[in-house]
Amino acid sequence: MSEAIYTAENKKTFAADGIEILFFTIGDKTYGIEIKYVNEIIGIEQITVVPKIPDYIKGVINIRGKVVPVISVRKRFGMEEIPYDDRTCIIVLEFENGTQVGVIVDRVQEVVVVDKATVSKVPDCKNVNANKYIKSIINSADDIKLLLDCDKLIMSET
Amino acid sequence: MAKFEAGMESMVDMYIFETTSLLEQLDQILMKTENQSSFSSEEINEIFRIMHTLKGSSAMMGLENMSKLSHSIEDMFFIIREENPVISDMRSLYDLLFNASDLLKEEIELIQEDEYTATDFSEAMGKIKSFAAVLKGGAPAAEAAPSAPAAAQPAQAAAPAAQAQASQNDLTTVRVSFDDDCKMENLRALLVINKISEECEKLEYTPADIENNPETAKEIIENGFIVKFKPSSDTDIDTVLSIIADTSNVKSYEVLEMGHVIELVGTINVKVTFEEECKMENLRALIVVNNIKEKCKTISYEPADIEGNTASAQTIIDNGFIIHFTADDPKGVIRMINASPNVKMCEILSAGDAAPAAPVQTAAPAAQAAAPAQTAAPAQAAQEAPAQKSVEQINNMLGNKGGAKQSLISVNLNKLDTLLDLVGEIVITEAMVTSNPDLKGLRLDNFQKAARQLRKLNSELQDTVMSIRMVPISGAFNKMTRIVRDMKVKLNKDVDLIFEGEETEVDKSIIDQLNDPLMHMVRNSMDHGIEDTAEERIAKGKPPKGKLTLSAYNSSGEVIIVIADDGAGINSQKVIEKAERNGLLTKPMSEYSEKEIFNMIMLPGFSTNEQVTEFSGRGVGMDVVRKNIEKIGGSVSVDSKWGEGTSFIIKIPLSLSIVDGMEVSVGQSIFTIPISYIRESFKVKPSQLVKDTDGSEMIMIRGECFPLIRLYELYDLEPGISDLYEGIVILVEAEGKCACIFADELIGEQQVVVKPFSSLLNNFNVKQHGMAGCSILGDGSITIILDIGNIIGDF
Repeated sequence: MSEAIYTAENKKTFAADGIEILFFTIGDKTYGIEIKYVNEIIGIEQITVVPKIPDYIKGVINIRGKVVPVISVRKRFGMEEIPYDDRTCIIVLEFENGTQVGVIVDRVQEVVVVDKATVSKVPDCKNVNANKYIKSIINSADDIKLLLDCDKLIMSET
Repeated sequence: MAKFEAGMESMVDMYIFETTSLLEQLDQILMKTENQSSFSSEEINEIFRIMHTLKGSSAMMGLENMSKLSHSIEDMFFIIREENPVISDMRSLYDLLFNASDLLKEEIELIQEDEYTATDFSEAMGKIKSFAAVLKGGAPAAEAAPSAPAAAQPAQAAAPAAQAQASQNDLTTVRVSFDDDCKMENLRALLVINKISEECEKLEYTPADIENNPETAKEIIENGFIVKFKPSSDTDIDTVLSIIADTSNVKSYEVLEMGHVIELVGTINVKVTFEEECKMENLRALIVVNNIKEKCKTISYEPADIEGNTASAQTIIDNGFIIHFTADDPKGVIRMINASPNVKMCEILSAGDAAPAAPVQTAAPAAQAAAPAQTAAPAQAAQEAPAQKSVEQINNMLGNKGGAKQSLISVNLNKLDTLLDLVGEIVITEAMVTSNPDLKGLRLDNFQKAARQLRKLNSELQDTVMSIRMVPISGAFNKMTRIVRDMKVKLNKDVDLIFEGEETEVDKSIIDQLNDPLMHMVRNSMDHGIEDTAEERIAKGKPPKGKLTLSAYNSSGEVIIVIADDGAGINSQKVIEKAERNGLLTKPMSEYSEKEIFNMIMLPGFSTNEQVTEFSGRGVGMDVVRKNIEKIGGSVSVDSKWGEGTSFIIKIPLSLSIVDGMEVSVGQSIFTIPISYIRESFKVKPSQLVKDTDGSEMIMIRGECFPLIRLYELYDLEPGISDLYEGIVILVEAEGKCACIFADELIGEQQVVVKPFSSLLNNFNVKQHGMAGCSILGDGSITIILDIGNIIGDF
């Protein structure tokens, strides 16, 4: 199991049966997002509030002339928000249809190539609210990490 | 995109653009003539021209199916033009034509997709051909060859009598045999005929009825397929024969009898005829002469005084324009004659030194020099320049379209979009420079002067770019004529379609998005709006003919499009009951206003029509309409009177991009109110404030009362100033309603570039909450542009 996680340098060797994942932390938990969605990572910026939208959408920011909405993952997960500091980051995601969305996270960790064999599906739960943002579970050497489903995280309305 | 030959891709866009506009033209002509149930010769020529161009360009792109379909229509119109038959069954003619036009349009759509396989048009073509055959049959003086395609061959009506007598000798007879077991020999034979028909002046074949009679296949197997032809003046027998040999499934051919061919040697005499009514034939003749003289060793022509004598035009019309020439490449010269503008045909009269047909002639150089006109011995270099000039002069005199066309170009929309984006960036950058924080507190007279100049130029640049993108809405309206026409026939309802203000101009990108919603609404009005029978209408005291009005007009920076019918109207009771059944109500039934009820028909999953028809009734239509219109920043509403009719009102912004705005601050936020909505701004005095019984605030201005909207309350924001007398009040007006908007302070006036909200935010209906979009200010911060119409409407 200790060889389950490979560093980015090795990705050429393992890209075929591995997926590149960007890990970040919220509080003391680590989550992952598939790198194919990630456009860039920027520091926290001045956020313009947009009224009359759900509170997990914090507003919009200006990324080189583009107006991009940002959402708070903490708020999305129903957690308390903490004040932004210099390690707070906005991960800018881009979807296939060209929509860009910023995601505010506490800290960004690293990009690693994860062997597909270590990725397992989330169990089906009757409770509709269970696992609603989780795509799969990654068993790594020292920890179990959750891979987020970007489409559900951003697009689903609940 | 479909696969095209290398090098063709770049032309695909052009081809699609051209073809689409040609088909639209065709539809318009058809629509116009259908009402008159007859064609004028001009219209026939126009259709002929359109189909001809389509045929040519489709063939060039390698789209053989489209080319052939166009060809069959062209053939049919050739018969109509040349023979002027009495068309008894106008209805099926139009159905055929509309059907063909639809097929072609669909094919154009298909071409733009990745997986393209050519559609088989043979069914439509078969119908057209058999209709053409009927036309032909009904026409007086039937040709020798009875079958449709043959009949459609250019019969060259103007052939002189002498030529007609000698016709049999002109023909080359060939027996074609096909591959064994290739099946359907008759159709393969037809293919051969189609292929060579372009190159032939005369064409006959046995068996004749190959198209409609499958029995002929046997005959062809037994006896072979006999083709008799005479090649056109600019090709020769060998070319035609090689085409036959290249046709698929042709096994072999055997020349039975060589036709008499005028050997193109020595002096060649040709007769050129021009298109009827092209005017000033003498000058056109001069153009022909100027075109070919470089290629000719000697040249002379009659009438000779074409340049000076306008009366020669009549002679040319009566007798044709005779040219005698000698050249190294006589075929090339004939091709050039044929390619000259307005030349209808070029006929070889005779060749060789013995020239019985030419009374005044021979290539004696002396005679040429004596000719008053500028005949061209190639050595006469000095004459080159004036000759060139005269062509130009002639072109000018004729008002040739070549010159006029130059002032219009078609541009890829993407380029215009990029240009607009750039202008938007420049506007933002200008603000970044001129209101740069570094300049604060400095006295910079010269800088300010230059900045004002820059601003003026920028706004001119902007206006120009905008005006480039503006197109009249008539294009979108005209497409509806076709839909109405089809539905009239299918639903058997008699409806007048009326346009008002179709010259109103709207941004091109908006027009493109308008087609689908318009179509949906027109269909809805036709299907559900207008009563089913004329009796029903008469019973209600309405004229038996229904009326559908499409109107467009400008109103304070918006374009308003109204689709109004004088049909049955919407039964609000039925609507709300249905909405309840479908679980669409969010408050008690009695609390809904009539307007709200009407607008329910645009909710997803709503359709009052119990029966789903071909045209509408699936309950997705109006929902999609609303979504599409909102996507371009517009809004739709419905108004109806039971028994009197229904109107759909679409409001769209004139242009998507740049607005003059007034920025106001509310706490930390900055909002932009488009200047076009603002009437005035002022500080409120205590005497102006009026409160009604439940505490709603109103402001009294010059004896009129207006509701007060506090932006921070509307949007649940933390206010910077909540004391009414401290902040600023802006009186705004939209759609005839006024209201006062309360904000902290005015920041200033600025042009802003509208950026649409991300689709993520649109999911939460920000538009309905009065936010039209956002924009980036000079300092990089973001402002939200308010949609005053929506804010007032909700109040």
